[in-house]
Amino acid sequence: MTEQPHEPHGEGEGHGHAHDAHGGHDEHGHHPRFIQHHYDDAQHQFDSGKLGIWLFLAQEVLFFSALFVAYILYRYHHPEIYSYAHKYLDVKYGAINTAVLIFSSLTAAWAVRAAQLNQKKLLILCIAATIACAMGFLGIKYIEYSHKYHEQILFGRYFDPCVSSGGVPMLTKSNECHGHKSTVQWKDGKALAGCYQDIDQDLQKQDVQADCKVEEVRLEHGRPARVAAGATHDCAKSGGTVIAKGDGGTYTFTGACDEIMVIGSRNTLQLDTAKKVAVKGADNTVRANAVDAFAGDNSTRRAIAKGISGPQPTLAGVTDSDVDENKEVVREASRTPIAERCPEHALGHGGGHEAGGKHPCWRVGFQPAVCARKANKDQYGIIVEYGDHKERGHDVRIDATCKPTPKAPEPADVFAEPTGQTKLGQKAVTPYHQLTTHEEHELEAAGPPPEHTNMFFTIYFAMTGLHGIHVLFGIFVFVWLLVRAIKGHFRPDYFGPIDFAALYWHIVDLIWIFLFPLLYLIH
Amino acid sequence: MASTDHHDDHHGISHVASIKVLIGTGGTLLVLTLVTVLATKIDFGANINLGIAMAIAVLKASLVILFFMHLKYDKIFHTVVFMSAILAASLFVGFTLMDTGQYQHTNIWNPENPPAAPVGPRPTSG
Repeated sequence: MTEQPHEPHGEGEGHGHAHDAHGGHDEHGHHPRFIQHHYDDAQHQFDSGKLGIWLFLAQEVLFFSALFVAYILYRYHHPEIYSYAHKYLDVKYGAINTAVLIFSSLTAAWAVRAAQLNQKKLLILCIAATIACAMGFLGIKYIEYSHKYHEQILFGRYFDPCVSSGGVPMLTKSNECHGHKSTVQWKDGKALAGCYQDIDQDLQKQDVQADCKVEEVRLEHGRPARVAAGATHDCAKSGGTVIAKGDGGTYTFTGACDEIMVIGSRNTLQLDTAKKVAVKGADNTVRANAVDAFAGDNSTRRAIAKGISGPQPTLAGVTDSDVDENKEVVREASRTPIAERCPEHALGHGGGHEAGGKHPCWRVGFQPAVCARKANKDQYGIIVEYGDHKERGHDVRIDATCKPTPKAPEPADVFAEPTGQTKLGQKAVTPYHQLTTHEEHELEAAGPPPEHTNMFFTIYFAMTGLHGIHVLFGIFVFVWLLVRAIKGHFRPDYFGPIDFAALYWHIVDLIWIFLFPLLYLIH
Repeated sequence: MASTDHHDDHHGISHVASIKVLIGTGGTLLVLTLVTVLATKIDFGANINLGIAMAIAVLKASLVILFFMHLKYDKIFHTVVFMSAILAASLFVGFTLMDTGQYQHTNIWNPENPPAAPVGPRPTSG
């Protein structure tokens, strides 16, 4: 090298930078500012740094190879999961991100050239373009990740997808999907309510036979309602918990009541049935046909089955929580019947989101992971699909009553008159036609995910997440380089940091080159 | 950018890539990305499709390594370092896949639907 011996402590001042703008690459205006004292010269420092970054890149290959091994092994054993789950990913986003990274690799490589040739403005431009591309990549990643977060297409036990990979709404454990709500109520790993058996659901038949009455119930939260003394209260109209408070009053209830609290003395209650009656006070009388649970003190007179005769119900001691006036109660505010049936997934017509269906409508959802917990039992939930993309939280509940279909329908049933909700149509006559490969794939994508599909997304998030962290780190490095480039630190004999960062950036691109076909382009 | 168009030789400390090589490599990579997306749409059978996609990915990776990362013009020792990492990674994969046939299908025990009893000769006592 033609380098002159440099000052031992890199203390050279910044005068030399005035030359930068000239871009003369044969100018060996030696400037030892960034040459560390333990190197002989610029070449020595550069070569050492280059070996270091190549060793780091070798380590990166090994680092990522662990995840590739997981991917390959799992794909080898469960190809069906991969062919189902990759349809959740949008090839468009993956391809755009591939192009963005390739372009940023080009600008990074060009930045090295610009630094070598002392082209300061071009160097700054190339670094800025690389940063912009990296941010664009993360922006697209954010769109993809947030979509998956909303649809609950996540890793491990958080995989509870709102739609099948073919876009058909599905039952979920959380029951908090955007745009649809199901009957299923899940808690602690069990479906508590909202799963039905014996609903005839055959995806190969259009217009399935399930006969359900579906209602959307709007709930409101608040304090228990007060009832006035002497008045008649209709429990069928407004359910929930009610309070009768005062002394010496007479209260009459009709219909099936949920919970009645009595606070005061010498009151008389006349009611039909109630799930629970709690009395606080002395000398109260309760007449009822049936009460499931009774709480009160010993002075409470209670009579079951019209009149004073009949067995006395068990009396449990009353506690403060039994007669809590400020208790949070849930009331039904309204009930809206959902009569329209969603068009079933029809072969060759895409998923359930096709145009023409009216909203809201309901459909039968079958997911073994959500409803049919036990073997040999097909259980179904009912999904109400809304046209919007709103989330319906705990204020909305879906109630359904389904009639089981007859076990062995008479052949004549196939040609029966269509009823209001179920249309037994032409398609049902020839239910089993030979499916083409394409139709089979489509049918598969419309249905629920195969068991352990969450593993695909565990691997997906581990790989793309680790890669994304590398992109993020690359942004920090390139921002640092941008600042240094603007300050004019880089010269033909000192561009190591640019070269090394570019090498790192290329390996990030390289890994994505493999991730893209492996995750997005599964056939 | 004046007088820098063909600068394939070593410039001072390290090799300088020519603009032709840079743009040629970037363009080829973009075209190959398009090819790999289009190739997925044609059904050659799952294994051949995977093979095509991987072949294109390896080709793209080679282009990146040789030209963007300058390995073609770089010291041979850097190639040795990198290739040994690739070799080690393929050993990981190879050894893991070697005994996949040795694992039985995993039965998740379900009391309602127990797996069938194994078929075969009764184990002899002793």
